[in-house]
Amino acid sequence: MPKHYRPPGKKKEGTAATFITRTKAVRNLQVTLPHFRKLCILKGVFPREPKKKIHGSEKTYYHVKDINFLMHEPLRGKLWDIKAYKKKIKKARGKKNKDMVERLLDRQPTYKLDRLVLERYPTFVDALRDLDDCLTMVHLFATLPAMESEHIQVDRIHNCRRLSHEWQAYISRTHSLRRTFISVKGIYYQAEVEGQKITWLTPHALQQVVTDDVDFNVMLTFLEFYETLLGFVNFKLYHSINVKYPPILDPRLEALADELYALCRYIATGSRTLSGNSQSGISSESEQTGNKKMNSESEESEVRLAQLQHQLPANERGALMNMMEDVNGADEEDQDTKECKSLFKDFKFFLSREVPRESLLFIIPAFGGLVSWEGDGAPFKETDEDVTHQIVDRPSLGRKFLSREYVQPQWIFDCINARIILPTEQYLLGRVPPPHLSPFVDNEAEGYVPEYAETIKRLQAAARRQVLPFPGLDPMDFSDPGSLLAEGIIDRAEANEAAEQRQKLLKLEQQYHDELKMELQGVTFSAVASKGNSQIPPAEDVEVEEGASMALLDQVAEDELNLSKVSMSRRQRGLMEAIQIGKERKRNKIELLKKRRKNSEANRKG
Amino acid sequence: MAKLKIRDKKVKIAITKDKKKKDKADPEAVPELPAEYSSPTRDEEHSDSRDVSQSSDSELSCEINEVEGNDLHHPAEESDSSEDEVAPRNTIGDVPLEWYKDEEHIGYDIAGRKIKKHARKDKIESFLAGVDDSKNWRKIYDEYNDEEVELTKKEMKLIKRLLQGSTPHTEVDPYAPYVDWFDWEDKGHPLSNAPEPKRRFIPSKWEHKKVVKYIRAIRKGWIKFEKPEEEPRHYLLWGDDSTSAESKRQGLKYIPAPKPKLAGHEESYNPSLEYIPTQEEINSYQLMYEEDRPKFIPKRYESLRNVPAYENALKEGFDRCLDLYLCPRTRKKRINIDPESLKPKLPSRKDLKPYPSKCYLEYLGHSGPVKSVSVEISGQWLASGSTDGTIRLWEVETGRCLKVWEVGQPVNHVAWNPLPQLPILAASAGHDVLLLDTGLGDAEEQHRITELLHVEESASTDDRDLVSWAREEMYGGIRLKHTKAVANVEWHRKGDYFTTVMPKDILRTLPERLDCSRDTKAVLLHQLSKKQTHNPFKKLRGLAVSAVFHPTRSIFFISTKNHIRIYDLLKSKLINKLETGLQEVSSVAVHPGGDNLIVGSKEGKMCWFDMDLSSRPYKILKTHPKDITNVAFHRSYPLFASSSEDCTAYVFHGMVYSDLNQNPLIVPLEILRGHASSKYGGVLDCKFHPRQPWLFTAGADSVIKLYCH
Repeated sequence: MPKHYRPPGKKKEGTAATFITRTKAVRNLQVTLPHFRKLCILKGVFPREPKKKIHGSEKTYYHVKDINFLMHEPLRGKLWDIKAYKKKIKKARGKKNKDMVERLLDRQPTYKLDRLVLERYPTFVDALRDLDDCLTMVHLFATLPAMESEHIQVDRIHNCRRLSHEWQAYISRTHSLRRTFISVKGIYYQAEVEGQKITWLTPHALQQVVTDDVDFNVMLTFLEFYETLLGFVNFKLYHSINVKYPPILDPRLEALADELYALCRYIATGSRTLSGNSQSGISSESEQTGNKKMNSESEESEVRLAQLQHQLPANERGALMNMMEDVNGADEEDQDTKECKSLFKDFKFFLSREVPRESLLFIIPAFGGLVSWEGDGAPFKETDEDVTHQIVDRPSLGRKFLSREYVQPQWIFDCINARIILPTEQYLLGRVPPPHLSPFVDNEAEGYVPEYAETIKRLQAAARRQVLPFPGLDPMDFSDPGSLLAEGIIDRAEANEAAEQRQKLLKLEQQYHDELKMELQGVTFSAVASKGNSQIPPAEDVEVEEGASMALLDQVAEDELNLSKVSMSRRQRGLMEAIQIGKERKRNKIELLKKRRKNSEANRKG
Repeated sequence: MAKLKIRDKKVKIAITKDKKKKDKADPEAVPELPAEYSSPTRDEEHSDSRDVSQSSDSELSCEINEVEGNDLHHPAEESDSSEDEVAPRNTIGDVPLEWYKDEEHIGYDIAGRKIKKHARKDKIESFLAGVDDSKNWRKIYDEYNDEEVELTKKEMKLIKRLLQGSTPHTEVDPYAPYVDWFDWEDKGHPLSNAPEPKRRFIPSKWEHKKVVKYIRAIRKGWIKFEKPEEEPRHYLLWGDDSTSAESKRQGLKYIPAPKPKLAGHEESYNPSLEYIPTQEEINSYQLMYEEDRPKFIPKRYESLRNVPAYENALKEGFDRCLDLYLCPRTRKKRINIDPESLKPKLPSRKDLKPYPSKCYLEYLGHSGPVKSVSVEISGQWLASGSTDGTIRLWEVETGRCLKVWEVGQPVNHVAWNPLPQLPILAASAGHDVLLLDTGLGDAEEQHRITELLHVEESASTDDRDLVSWAREEMYGGIRLKHTKAVANVEWHRKGDYFTTVMPKDILRTLPERLDCSRDTKAVLLHQLSKKQTHNPFKKLRGLAVSAVFHPTRSIFFISTKNHIRIYDLLKSKLINKLETGLQEVSSVAVHPGGDNLIVGSKEGKMCWFDMDLSSRPYKILKTHPKDITNVAFHRSYPLFASSSEDCTAYVFHGMVYSDLNQNPLIVPLEILRGHASSKYGGVLDCKFHPRQPWLFTAGADSVIKLYCH
């Protein structure tokens, strides 16, 4: 805002001067609302919440500095240019000047977003930190159909697909995938790149439901930025593992929609050639076959070059060097990566037709396994003797190999989350697999541990040859839970437990005393037996007493709370109550889960 | 135009024929052309007047003839002759056939006889005939001549070609190169004599302009012929040095968007059974408010192949986009406070002992709610008044009921005289205040008391309109008859004066309601030694609730519903007015030091006033969920208590320091329970023992309890 003379009494200071409504901002910037939206999205400008909403509470407020930031953005001028240019085209069209239209269409002004990417994310780590949304969006669009009516072009979909595969290939290559989770919404992946945990969601590989309550303009603007961002991020990542970035893929595999596999091979060869070594990998045979059909000349030559280098006879010294390097590299890798790298090291997987191939092709190599599938271009056939596991997802299978295990895809995901090889019995062909649990939940913090999580924990411990302490009784002094509670030494639940214990002990003691008394009085055992009915009321009494003491404990706890509340300020009391409500809600949720579990167990038995 | 074109075709056909002729023999065919030209037109004109089928028939036949036979007859002649050959059967002439629709004949022959129509076949017959005859499909009924015509194969071919839109004859080439029939060259006589226009030989100015424009555009680089080379789309954007990049970010401080919540167990495609809601629960979601309704209902699929595409995938992506660019972002401190840390740091309760914590004794005997208790100054005796119309005197330590006075009216309040040598009990029962001789103390004291409680009959007549002092007939003592029900009796510390409060009963004095806010007779002062009563206030604002004397000085506190007014009795003027901020004050107690005051209210709040500090509460304690009935200070220990309708009494530690800079310390100590709730309320009164840290509580369940440390 330019400083100019303000008439007296019309001061603009404080909130009124620092925050501006959206309408005013649009007017100041002299752009249309859609352009403003686009600018905001691309520049990452978002509304702010002023302390006092001067122009009305229903309005959106932007910081004046943000708007000034947009004001100096060259993209704003570019958008104007584009708008004017479109008018030119329209005019030429109206005058039926065809070659003019053609010429104009040929040289439309474009803009680049690389500067904006750098501006928003000055360091690479910043970009990685914000990559979650970007990846989710790109993966979502990679599965969408191209729709001309919504201006979703085919090449953008292809670009998204390519970018997502490049990303996955990198993650798979560097073994930085950490967790996976199949949800109803899709498959979640969590990777760790440069210390940043990046989580993204890929939809299930099915025809997506396209709804009409979505404004694709907004989404496409976001996608525009995300595509650029992910392109640069991929470049940087590929650069870091010494691979040329826009990867040149084997067109044959590309045609078979195996871009991911093609990319993996590309990276593998690329990094190997650059390190000046040749190492016979799994894919060497198939690569030879892959040589035959290649379309474009330049690509062909480049790929061939790479392969030729790859097929050079192994130099003894070079191999030794490579081994040395491997050792060094292993030292650099952290414990986690090492663990991930070797999870499926000794296994060879084969995927049936019906399993989600892209996902598994991504995951299994990321954890060090070898994988093949049914179809052309696969590295090995189904009949391969060395296959240890075949991933199937169908009710039954006609012909089976005895040398391999037929497991459902969930096994892979569960193994990865548990970081151990789980026993396959429950995941075998045709069985209902055990519940698939989310790896993102901290069960201890949540307060409820599902049954299968406990099983997995035990298995993990067994794998590490550790012995878990059995959940037993702590040597606790059960002298007087009430008083302990009152002193604030133990919390309420513990107190309740202790009280129960004590009640039991008391009951036993009392019984003993009663019997002793009776013995003293000379009552025979038979008489006691006949008196059985009269024995019941005291037991009931004890129970009643027990209930009463429980109530008393509750009372003590409540009193404690009330007393502490009395001396709090109103603000603190409100906060306390809010905390308590939250806790109560959490407790209710857990109670509900426990109840349902009990019910389901009862159903299973009954 | 259309007609002309048709004719042109005919002409062309004619020409082709002509050419053939040329090929055959004579080049002199040229003069014949006009005749040829005219003949088909004539034919056509002629055929216009005739019936369609007839004309086509005749014409077609003639042309076929012509094609077949290569003889050089004139087609016009032939057509004439063909017409002559077969005379039309019909002689009605050129009139609509409709006119003869109902006639049996179709004209007359040359002899004048009727030409009969053929008998019409009916439909079945004609159908049967059609079925039998394999050539039936070729037959056409000629309505004009009333006869059936069978088309020949050739005719069928012609018709087919015509229907296809091609020339009827296969031999005819409609697109044969045109041969001009007029020789232009070297004739010297152009068709038009106009001179050649200038534009034919001068270069176009506009074209020139356009070319210049293009040239200029090319020169200036507006038109480029080769496309600009594409730069590599991606490059190393982030260099290696990350330190220098710190200053690059412009604008305001970036607030990263909060990451979306990660999926929990319930979002799994195959969650544990306990995460799946039952059908009833799902149904119950419908009854919830839309905000409370769970957004995601877990569902279980037996295997991965059964999982469908998520229908909200796009919507959720879009919502996230909207959140990212439309939601205001602010940094908010996450409330992750340990609730323990919220509790104020107070000294441990153990260090503040002794205080009443456990019920030690119960005084049983009353049959109605006990409204009030009072402890004698020595701490040996306890008096209690109940709504059952009795006042009882108890021995504190044993719980023995020493004496019962049957007053007959519900007792509101009892109060011992604060002087130890004058064990007189003041009790308010209905409209009266009784001063009772308890019969305690030695003989000398008894004598003094009886002397003090002696009232002459004449004394009552002095001030009849205020209060009448009279002898109590039954138990001895004095009965002060008031005009209204007395709620409170409080003694002055010296034991000579006492005050009574008569709050207006609002229900009974509805007409006087406006007046009642300025009731001057609500608070009265009585002097026992002189048996006198006087009204200290000319006017009194607000509804008086209770009145208390200052424990050391001659200061008088009157609490109205919202305020506490403090009067100096010697100067008889208002010293201070305390703003409680409460809705309705129910009780007041003064700290024995005299500078602090606690006020209980009917909304369950208790205010502590430090009168040196301010006229506003030093601390407001929200203790009880229901009305506070009474508050009390201990005379010597730093304790105070409140009793409430919710059947509890709270005990607090309330330390007042002699150092003026140090604020009073208030620590809640104990919640005393034990009274049962009844319809008359919970705990109606609480009083401390004068010497011990004991608390007496009077309950609506007609029990008095003693809580000891």
